[in-house]
Amino acid sequence: MIYKNKITLFFFLLLGFQLSAKDYVATEFGVKNDGLTLNTCSIQKAIDFIHEHGGGRLVFESGNYVTGSIYLKSNVTLQLDYGATILGSTNPFDYVKDKKIGWMSMIFAVNQENIGITGKGIINGRGFTTANNMVNYIHRGVFIDPLKYDRPNETNRPQNIYFRECTNIIITDITLKDPASWNQTYDQCKNLYVDHITVDSKSYWNNDGIDVVDCDGVVIKNSYFDAADDVLCFKSHSAQHICQNVVVDNCVGRSSANGLKFGTVSRGGFKNFKVTNLTIFDTFRSAITFAAVDGGEIENIVIDGVRSINTGNVIYLRIGDRWSSGKKPYMKNITISNVYAEVPLGKPDAGYNFEGPIEDLPRNISPASIVGLVENKIQNVTLKNIQIVYPGSGNPMYAKRGLTPAELDGVPEMREAYPEFSQFKELPAWGFYVRHAEGITFENVTFTALKKDYRPSVVLDDVKNATFSGLVVNEPESIGKQQVFPYKTSNLIIK
Amino acid sequence: MQKLFLKICLIMLISQGALCAKDYNASLFGIKSDGITLNTQSIQRAIDFISEKGGGKLKFYVGRYLTGSVQLKSNVSIELNEGAVLVGTTSIYDYMGINGTKALIMADGQQNIGVMGKGVIEGQGAGVIEQINKQIKKGYLEESMAQASPGLIAMKNCIGVNIEGFNLQNASGNFVTFSGCKQISIKGISIKNPATKEGKGLVFAQIDGLKLENLFIETAGAEIHSDGQSKNITIVNCKNASGKSLLMKN
Repeated sequence: MIYKNKITLFFFLLLGFQLSAKDYVATEFGVKNDGLTLNTCSIQKAIDFIHEHGGGRLVFESGNYVTGSIYLKSNVTLQLDYGATILGSTNPFDYVKDKKIGWMSMIFAVNQENIGITGKGIINGRGFTTANNMVNYIHRGVFIDPLKYDRPNETNRPQNIYFRECTNIIITDITLKDPASWNQTYDQCKNLYVDHITVDSKSYWNNDGIDVVDCDGVVIKNSYFDAADDVLCFKSHSAQHICQNVVVDNCVGRSSANGLKFGTVSRGGFKNFKVTNLTIFDTFRSAITFAAVDGGEIENIVIDGVRSINTGNVIYLRIGDRWSSGKKPYMKNITISNVYAEVPLGKPDAGYNFEGPIEDLPRNISPASIVGLVENKIQNVTLKNIQIVYPGSGNPMYAKRGLTPAELDGVPEMREAYPEFSQFKELPAWGFYVRHAEGITFENVTFTALKKDYRPSVVLDDVKNATFSGLVVNEPESIGKQQVFPYKTSNLIIK
Repeated sequence: MQKLFLKICLIMLISQGALCAKDYNASLFGIKSDGITLNTQSIQRAIDFISEKGGGKLKFYVGRYLTGSVQLKSNVSIELNEGAVLVGTTSIYDYMGINGTKALIMADGQQNIGVMGKGVIEGQGAGVIEQINKQIKKGYLEESMAQASPGLIAMKNCIGVNIEGFNLQNASGNFVTFSGCKQISIKGISIKNPATKEGKGLVFAQIDGLKLENLFIETAGAEIHSDGQSKNITIVNCKNASGKSLLMKN
């Protein structure tokens, strides 16, 4: 694999960079660790000084350091020692809305190289307070924002980290807490290495785990994420760029939205991903969601080894037509293997701060789904060694989608809608629903319903070339029930 | 005589403008009076906002308002009421300069601006100088003491500036600096407790139209210093600590 070699080379480069770095202690620059003093200008001075004197690490020893927006510069690493906490100012006016980026952030870097944030310290955005202070200023008329849904626009709330067009980034060991918006965004960056980080991000709306936008050469491993919004979130904001050559290994995530997500903004696309040993738990929406709704291209994606425990949905693949502006999206060559998943009857994220919104009711438990468009089918998806345990108990008196042509055709297409697994409300299957797809292979797949459901386990609608081998369906009181229901489907093989 | 009449008209116009401009309390912008919160960006936001809305007064009441450098904008005045202390931070990297002159309140190319009221601008000069010395010794600050020391007010290329009524103390640099400005009025100000032996009181360069009235200036350096290229200057009842009437010194 080409991208593996590239990544190895990148490690050596990083190693060389780290060895030659000189250490500077932050307090030496007059930066205060009292948790009260706003250090924005002193920290910026220290970064600029190190940047202008050959690079090195700015070391934050144990203590609490308050800051507003700072800009990281080439060859500077912020080292947060164990016991050091960078506290975001709770005054929204202490943050810059970067003109090029159009977002607010605590730590910016634009067009820099060889930068990093390392160490066992904490970055705490204190975002709930900051966001609410912003709401106050909006009500008083001293900051202009439409306050849609009674919250400031996400670009008017600071993230913890926003790096744009940077090369060779190392983020290791740190804990990232409570931003006011997204958490950490890497946008059009090359060679991003994230290892052993902890994310605790559920203080306000849109608190993501990590957002990787149009990056090339990314490693994210051994990390733990607990987020109100999407956890491992890959995006493509630019139709001229693509998010590619990405390795994710040994990560654990909890979310009141989705676990591993491609999109929602998906203009350019996502290529060459390898995701291994992924655990998603107590997650409101899908463990895995790929959205190609803005004209993007998704291909060559391998996901191997997933434990999805207590998640509202397991797999949701979707092509839509939201902001495509004439571009033709596609999704192909996707392999998902070695998955064990349990879907609960209740709300999987109940009790977590900033719970996901209960919506799209009435519906019984939604199946995993692959849903393309009539003219843009999802192609070549292989699902291998998959076990999903559902609660079953779908009750037609509560919500019903039967198997008549009228009912199946009646599932809305929702071409322009925001893609979520629950968007179609009641679907006609309890295990897996496939619509507008081509070349779907189920190999050694087991669906278990703990209670009887009125629906069959699998419904295929407008599918070409579907192959099932070793399909096992367990459902109480279901002797003689047809568990795979094809509709407008050609070349279906069940072995 | 005609010129003087025109000037009086202009001053009246300016003061009338100030009368119909809106007042804004500092708290509206979340500016904190606790002496701990660094208010630089909130004060700056307030100034920008008031200027964009057509001008007015930013009013400070009793309390200590910690800040770094802020830039005054056209048609905005800062009013420090009795008991209000605008405190310059001892954190030296929070100060900016105009053409190398650092100050707490700065203005560059603005019109119809002012600072007034019976409050105090406190420079915390001793603390600032200590920090500058430390940073120079460590090699992190590549400026001289004179370059790094912030004054309290520095304005350049401004037209129509009204400074009135308050107390300035403990500046680490020169207290007040004006260059290339027109129609400056400074009234009823007291300047005391300079932090350095070199610190000057009022420094002027290339000013056209300057009125100094009822000032008390106690500095080790020159009380009033001019480059000799200023014109249309009136000085009425300005004294130093020993009661001596002050004149322009070149």
